[in-house]
Amino acid sequence: MTWTIAQKEIVSNLVSYKFFVVLLLTIVLVLTSFFIMHRDFKNRLSDYQVIRPKPGDPIALLPPNPLSIMAKGLDEALARSYEISPIGITVRAGQKSGNIIFSLFPAPDFLYVVRVVLSLVALLFGFDQVSQEKEKGTLKLMLSNGLSRSKILLGKWIGNFLSLSVPFLLVTLLGVAFLSLDPDIHFSSEQTLRFFLILFLTLVYITFFLSLGILISTLTKRAASSIVILLFIWALLVFVIPNLGTLLARQIVNVPSVRALSEKRQQVWTREVLFSQGEGSKLADHLRTIGDENDRLDENYRGKFNRLVNLSKNINRLSPAASFVYAVTDIAGTGISEENSLKREVVRYKDSIIQDMISTVVSNSKIKEYPAFGYNYRSLSSVFAQGALFDSAWLIFFNILFFALSYFAFVKYDVR
Amino acid sequence: MLRTIVKKEIQNNLYSFRFLVSFAMLLVIVSVTVFILTSDYLKKIDEYSQRQTEIENYMKNYAHFNRVQNVLGATQPPIPFYSLVRGLSSDVNLGEFDDDPLPVMFPLIDLAFIVTILMSLIALIFSYDSVCGEKEDGTLKLMLSNGFSRSKIIAGKIAGGVLTLFIPFLVSLAVGLLMIALHPSVAWKGADWGGLGLIMAGAVLYVGFFYCLGVFISSRHQASSASIMTSLFAWVLLILVVPNLSPYIASFISPTPSRIKIDRETSRMMDTERDDLGRKLSGERLQELIKKYPVLAENFSEAEAKEKLAKDPAFREAYEARTKEVQAAWDEANRIQGEKVDRIWKEVNRKESAQTRLASSLSMVSPLSDFTYLATDLSSTGIQNELHFGRLSEAWQRAFWDYARNRIAALQKKDPAKDWWNTPVDMSDRPRFRFTEEGLGGRVKSALPDFAVLIAFGFLVFICAYFSFIRYDVR
Repeated sequence: MTWTIAQKEIVSNLVSYKFFVVLLLTIVLVLTSFFIMHRDFKNRLSDYQVIRPKPGDPIALLPPNPLSIMAKGLDEALARSYEISPIGITVRAGQKSGNIIFSLFPAPDFLYVVRVVLSLVALLFGFDQVSQEKEKGTLKLMLSNGLSRSKILLGKWIGNFLSLSVPFLLVTLLGVAFLSLDPDIHFSSEQTLRFFLILFLTLVYITFFLSLGILISTLTKRAASSIVILLFIWALLVFVIPNLGTLLARQIVNVPSVRALSEKRQQVWTREVLFSQGEGSKLADHLRTIGDENDRLDENYRGKFNRLVNLSKNINRLSPAASFVYAVTDIAGTGISEENSLKREVVRYKDSIIQDMISTVVSNSKIKEYPAFGYNYRSLSSVFAQGALFDSAWLIFFNILFFALSYFAFVKYDVR
Repeated sequence: MLRTIVKKEIQNNLYSFRFLVSFAMLLVIVSVTVFILTSDYLKKIDEYSQRQTEIENYMKNYAHFNRVQNVLGATQPPIPFYSLVRGLSSDVNLGEFDDDPLPVMFPLIDLAFIVTILMSLIALIFSYDSVCGEKEDGTLKLMLSNGFSRSKIIAGKIAGGVLTLFIPFLVSLAVGLLMIALHPSVAWKGADWGGLGLIMAGAVLYVGFFYCLGVFISSRHQASSASIMTSLFAWVLLILVVPNLSPYIASFISPTPSRIKIDRETSRMMDTERDDLGRKLSGERLQELIKKYPVLAENFSEAEAKEKLAKDPAFREAYEARTKEVQAAWDEANRIQGEKVDRIWKEVNRKESAQTRLASSLSMVSPLSDFTYLATDLSSTGIQNELHFGRLSEAWQRAFWDYARNRIAALQKKDPAKDWWNTPVDMSDRPRFRFTEEGLGGRVKSALPDFAVLIAFGFLVFICAYFSFIRYDVR
């Protein structure tokens, strides 16, 4: 019986204007996003080919991550060039910094399309499920035919989930097929697994909004009120909470600004170079002091910054949209934790060669060749252990909670 | 007659559920946002003055001309408008090892965000059923049968709707502004209030556009359930898609060279290549000079040179000539390499500004971008301010280097043997960087095109709504 209701839902969706609009939006946005982000990835890849270090250069540089086509996250920061010199690490940023417009609007990647647009689309599927059937009188008819309320709700949920997810999955696979035509993009088997995990989380995320839509629909008498409430909740969850949460966390954890830190580093560096020119002073000692002071500043900043990241994550997790972003970027290898892990490796790399560099400079000997920098993205198990599992479980919990709430609300719903 | 319709619209809206919800939401979000942004601004002020003190302390003890430009960079102090609009002020700084990538994940929320995202959504929620909803209720027929003209109905609907939309927004903003006005440490000047007034005028145009768009879509549909779908479709495209795609499309049409590559190239040119050239040029000049002053061919330690300088006026003359020539050679090496580097960066900047201009023109198809540019320019937090800051910082750098050259020349006259570039010097009389916001006139001038585009869009969509309503089938 549940399946009959699901079928009825699918058929009525298929012939509706809503479905037409949503389908058009999904196809256009997902394909445009794949196309644009693929071009962007190719541009960054060709940049990488130009600037990649020669063997022996003390430079840590990662190629752009192909999964950044789906979730760009911090890939731009991860693929910066970290150049080691006797005074520490110099960072050179990519070309995006030249066009200010990039920093005004977020990247239109798959993650963005799902987080913002697909969530809205899922709400549109759910908002009138109960209230509109009541307005039309069909809900009474169904119940008078002896259908149990739980079956009706489950059937509605399944029918709408399928009407929403099947076209979306097909378009996404079309996008991925388009990517696979490009010989420059290789997904390793682990990356393919990561892709499917992202897809799974995407489905969990959009079903949350579907369940939320159905819940509000059962709590309201009219579909018009339901949509108004839902749009406001959506704006709160997708935009307001995550954007305000980070700012709120900054008021609680005192982290120095990047500028303040950079000024301190410059002061240390220029002071020590000045001292090194005094009579009887040893350049090597001053270079070491610069390194030590920089390490101390970095350690202090990292500690505070990590506290800020953790607090802002915990505040933002009030919204499933934030949990979704954290989980997907972590799985794609473009998240904050990945950047942190890369930086730790860069510092380790610097520590392993800096003494050698200092003695080369001091003894004025020929510039040496240094071992190449190697970095392995965190494995899936450590990604999950360090937060993605929590975020995924949190999303699933939200899903179950809202479905259960809508069930209880529907069981007590007055269909008259 | 028109007044009656406007009054009816306002009353209708005031008693509606959506008015209540949007009022409550705006009141909470605007006041919380202003509160947090103000406290963040105060923190920024504290940090800024602490940074200035640290720089002053450094300058007192270690100021030397060779590397002073690394310590004395021009920085923009926090401005009072940060309590409302943030624009480009977030501190991502990908050029530093210790960057702050949080704003990349979730951008800040400010007044511009509240107007562009929330107010536009609220405008559509208020207007999507303004025509087809009345048709469904049957009230449209009634109005028309009472002899109301269609043009008056549509004008009254739009005027009444926009007016009611602004009640919750203005009340919430007033609460926020009260916090700003009453806060003893946040000092808003006349130009700031003027800027805010103009931003509000822009917000009226922006929200008016979305209200008219909602009315237009509503008068193209027979059922409000279809109208909301089309409205949201249009909203998603205009707000969430067009602005985000524009910089990417611009970067494909008008590409720029890799900054990392240029950075590496120019660093090498100003480092090893400049040193080689400097050594070569000073060697050549010294060879010439030795012919005139053979004494310079001998090697002296610094102490011996000092002694000879005090006793032997002929040696002093030769030594001064040598210092002058070496300085001239290095100046020339710096000039030659500097010009090369300048040329390269100028070309990169030209390409980057061409791409930025293209991206900004493409994005102006969306009223969100128009309002964002308008609000950030009027509040000194946008692209215009970046240019203004760049001009101020260039002027200050020129003044500082004039000062540095004069000071070094004077010091070398006093003691030609000393390496004044690498000796701590009292620089308390140096020209200091003072940031002043651009006058309101300049800010308004840069926001004029955005105003014009918003007015044009608003007018266009109003005309569309008008003609659709005139031909609307009310049966």
